[in-house]
Amino acid sequence: MKGFLIYIAKIILVIILIAVALDGFYTAIFMQSKNRGKIETVFNSKAQKYDVVVLGSSRANNHFVSQMFEDKGLKTFNYGMSGGHLFEASLMLKLMIERKYAIKNVILEADLNLANDHQAEGICALFLPYIHNSNIIKEHFSNEENFKELYYIPFYRYIKFDAKIGFRETFFTAIHKKTNSLDNLGYYPLEKHKNGNMKNNIVNLNPLPHNKYYEEIKNICKANNINFIAIMTPMCENVVGMNYFDKVKKAYPEIYNYENVVVENQYFSSCGHMTDEGARIFTARILKDFFEK
Amino acid sequence: MFFNSLAFAIFLPIVFLLYWFVFNKTKSSQNALLIVASYYFYSCWDWRFLFLLVFSTFLDYYTGIQIEKGKSERSRKFWFWLSILVNLGFLGIFKYYNFFATSFSELLNSAGIKASPILLEVILPVGISFYTFHGLSYVIDIYYKRIKAEYNFVDYSLFVSYFPLLVAGPIERATHLLPQVKVKREFDFEKAKEGLCQIIWGLVKKVVIADTCATYANAIFDNYTAMNSFSLILGAVYFAFQIYGDFSGYSDIALGVSKLFGLDLLRNFNYPYFSRDIAEFWRRWHISLSSWFRDYLYIPLGGSKGGLWMKIRNTFIIFVVSGFWHGANWTYLAWGFINAIYFLPLLLSNSNRNNMDAIQLKFNPESVRVIMSIIYTFSLTCIAWVFFRAKTIADAVLYLKRMILSRDFSFQYLDNERYNYELLLILGIFVLIEWNNRTKVEPLSGKRNMLKVAFAIIAIMAFGTFSDYKEFIYFQF
Repeated sequence: MKGFLIYIAKIILVIILIAVALDGFYTAIFMQSKNRGKIETVFNSKAQKYDVVVLGSSRANNHFVSQMFEDKGLKTFNYGMSGGHLFEASLMLKLMIERKYAIKNVILEADLNLANDHQAEGICALFLPYIHNSNIIKEHFSNEENFKELYYIPFYRYIKFDAKIGFRETFFTAIHKKTNSLDNLGYYPLEKHKNGNMKNNIVNLNPLPHNKYYEEIKNICKANNINFIAIMTPMCENVVGMNYFDKVKKAYPEIYNYENVVVENQYFSSCGHMTDEGARIFTARILKDFFEK
Repeated sequence: MFFNSLAFAIFLPIVFLLYWFVFNKTKSSQNALLIVASYYFYSCWDWRFLFLLVFSTFLDYYTGIQIEKGKSERSRKFWFWLSILVNLGFLGIFKYYNFFATSFSELLNSAGIKASPILLEVILPVGISFYTFHGLSYVIDIYYKRIKAEYNFVDYSLFVSYFPLLVAGPIERATHLLPQVKVKREFDFEKAKEGLCQIIWGLVKKVVIADTCATYANAIFDNYTAMNSFSLILGAVYFAFQIYGDFSGYSDIALGVSKLFGLDLLRNFNYPYFSRDIAEFWRRWHISLSSWFRDYLYIPLGGSKGGLWMKIRNTFIIFVVSGFWHGANWTYLAWGFINAIYFLPLLLSNSNRNNMDAIQLKFNPESVRVIMSIIYTFSLTCIAWVFFRAKTIADAVLYLKRMILSRDFSFQYLDNERYNYELLLILGIFVLIEWNNRTKVEPLSGKRNMLKVAFAIIAIMAFGTFSDYKEFIYFQF
């Protein structure tokens, strides 16, 4: 039995050593990531100057046409992330500030994402390779339920989120395989889909009265003299429960309601996401209202 | 509690330490601990079904004794049939009632008679197909006087409910396991070490092969109407490896865990995809079930000894019943039926026992023939797996039809955000490892053991699929 217990101890030791080695190896690869995604790019970047930075979920990513801002002479990048919540948008802004980005305006898509202040697993995972290399990221995750496992158990975060930061992503990062997330200055245009879901029910959705991360973004902007523009973006006309946007307006009067700027189905790829054509109509209106003075 | 869960990683060492350090004095204390652990393990799924398990155990225990004690043939028959009918009754109610009720009602409706079936809202108790078959083989063996009845209820309960085999087999025989639980187990370092290696290799099969293949196979099968020939071929291959990795991985873990407690379970898989014909495949795939049906159904029906029609009838019965054992769905029946069609020519030409020897390859034409026959057999099983995996028989037929008619062999991007070919390298390495170790139970034991274990652990951690967690497929059966 003694021999067996020693054998098990050896295996446990091997597991720990492998976990530490793999953790270090994967992290080292992500530390030199350049062209995979927005989070890695910001983390590994140096100071930048922007007139406009767009933050939010896919409804920011697909709705604000960066090039149209650029055409007006405004240096812009759309950092909206499909599937992201305000948890990730706030962390992204914190990283930019830490890297001494000089930002004049932050446009935050703040509408459906006000309904929760949780992390979006698929997106937040992309910050995790850097958790030991950034106090900002560590602090941001410190109140999360699974923080201890993610922080203290070597390689656990890469196993838990293997679909996002596992071997495949690490390999592509190592060979600098490019993705399209940084194309079009971060804006991702959508096409009209024949089978796009043009119905949506948000009756049961309610904005949190004080969304922690929305407030955090607002405060960061204030502290860094950044003009903060919070915007509700359009949804198609078939949405059930449109009074959600009124509820947002009531809870957050400073958020501009642009939900009605584009309504016709022809401009939507799915009910919550406009096509490129719709996004251009919408962006033109934003430019006119906020940047033509 | 899954074998690949954190809960089991805590449960197993606790039971192991208690078993060898606290309850190690007598065979009775060892068995008592294993029974308590097994019932706890089972109750983690759904404690209510524990009563069913205990009832089923007691029924077979009691009827076994009554059959043995029975003075008249009539009395023996009574207890025998009572056990058979109650066991199959439970299985029928929980697993097959809704299927038959729905099918019958559909039949009536198609004949113009309106009928709506009365369906039972019951969930299938996990492992019922496995522990029912344990009990049945025990009672049948006593009835035919092949074994003696077991009078110690704890020992018998352990035979039925031993946690490594409780929910997905292997389907044990009383002749094999009961003698082992009747004696006190002494710790055997080599056996325990082998067990640990088998557990690790089982995990490789489950999380690296099966669960990774599953994401690709699902992406292809769920969207087969949009897939080209190449993707559909890969979909079938991926599913073949998914189900093999899943079930043989589970069996490896079960056998490995059991070795930690000094008990050997029946081997369930013997590198089935290296089979040279379908008959050999069925001697290597889910061996405990195949041999169960052979011994308790095929041979009593006359086996291959009768005339031509009897051989054909028995072949179809055993394969169709075997398919139906997997679940109440026409697709499983079709899968069994197809395998019967594959098997029949071999049986009728008396070549079903041609490939009994070990496979050896050399640089000669015979080896080329062997390799071609392995590829051919694997292709046949893949076609049959399409029926096993598809939701309906119509889906399976359309899948195969599209596979043949699409004739487009380009790489496709799947909705799991991967290309259809990306997994092939891992599968290639896996096949090579299995091929090189085909004479062993698992590839990790032997020389340079710790190095091989380290590579297996790296494979699990780096290449495993964890975020898209999947249950073991055979739990549903």
